[in-house]
Amino acid sequence: MNEMINSILLVDDEDLFHLVFEDACSILDITLSLEALNSSDEADRMFKQWFPDDPNQERPECVFVDLNIIGSSFDGIELIRKINFDYGNGCVIGIISSSDDNQEIEKAKAAGAQFWIIKSDDIEPRLEDFRKDYQGYVNKTNPFKVYK
Amino acid sequence: MIPITKHTRDVLLEVAKKKKIYVEGNFLKILQAPNGDVEFEEYLKVCKEKDSTARRKRLQVTKQVQKQNKELVSKQEETDALMEELQIALESAKQSEEVANQLREEAEKGMGKALEDLELMQKKTQFELISTIVKVALYVIVGVGVLTTVMYGLALMSGTDTQIIGSTWSNMFGILLTNAFSIVGTIMGVKYATEKE
Repeated sequence: MNEMINSILLVDDEDLFHLVFEDACSILDITLSLEALNSSDEADRMFKQWFPDDPNQERPECVFVDLNIIGSSFDGIELIRKINFDYGNGCVIGIISSSDDNQEIEKAKAAGAQFWIIKSDDIEPRLEDFRKDYQGYVNKTNPFKVYK
Repeated sequence: MIPITKHTRDVLLEVAKKKKIYVEGNFLKILQAPNGDVEFEEYLKVCKEKDSTARRKRLQVTKQVQKQNKELVSKQEETDALMEELQIALESAKQSEEVANQLREEAEKGMGKALEDLELMQKKTQFELISTIVKVALYVIVGVGVLTTVMYGLALMSGTDTQIIGSTWSNMFGILLTNAFSIVGTIMGVKYATEKE
């Protein structure tokens, strides 16, 4: 059995998806600690606080970011770039979006995203696949992957 | 994992039995039954099953709501697009109405001009007809006058009796002059009245 992820941060503007994600993670025993934000600015502020050191180990182990976050001053790819290049690249990070635009996927890859999960009505199998690959993302041994 | 004390264990089991209230959520996953405590292990199993069932139900409902929201958004977009098309059609109709009004005004102007031209043509025809009548009348008057005068002259020169021809010439001339002036007067009157209209 795969081990649980210590803590997950979800950044997505859709509150309903927070519930879907939380329930899916709980049913699949992916994590016990899940925090959901609906603004990339808020996530940015939190990472600024954790940067450069995180003595209380508050930084999440894994971050899922939506591509287009309505009401935020920048999109998910920019948030990933900031986390990776400005705040120290200390977590597994990737996109979770309903888009499968190749150009955006390439941009995310360039910003340091490790995975791209396509949102759909049936999210659970994708999260399960992701969980199987998770250790590889932590060790930085897995290549970038799109979960379709 | 958090080990459970005997007191907590008993309370949890009591509450579950009497009030059907069970521990739920992620906290449940970090509770550990004391070694060999089959009853509490069973309790935790029931709690997990209940929690999992509730979450599955909620997940299903949330997905359904999410799907309906997407459909609503999609329909809203369709409605917006239709409203936009309607707005464009309305503006186009307004523009068409304006063009139609302009065309109507131009047509009315054209019709007015055509009526004026027609009236002018009628007047011209009338005037030409009057001119012809006047000319013919004058030719007749002058012709009759000349003929009567020639006949009267010939009678005078030939020394024949001129009593009848003389009075005839005189009467004829009087009548012709009267008629001529009457005709000219009538024509001038008609012309004056037409010009005024």
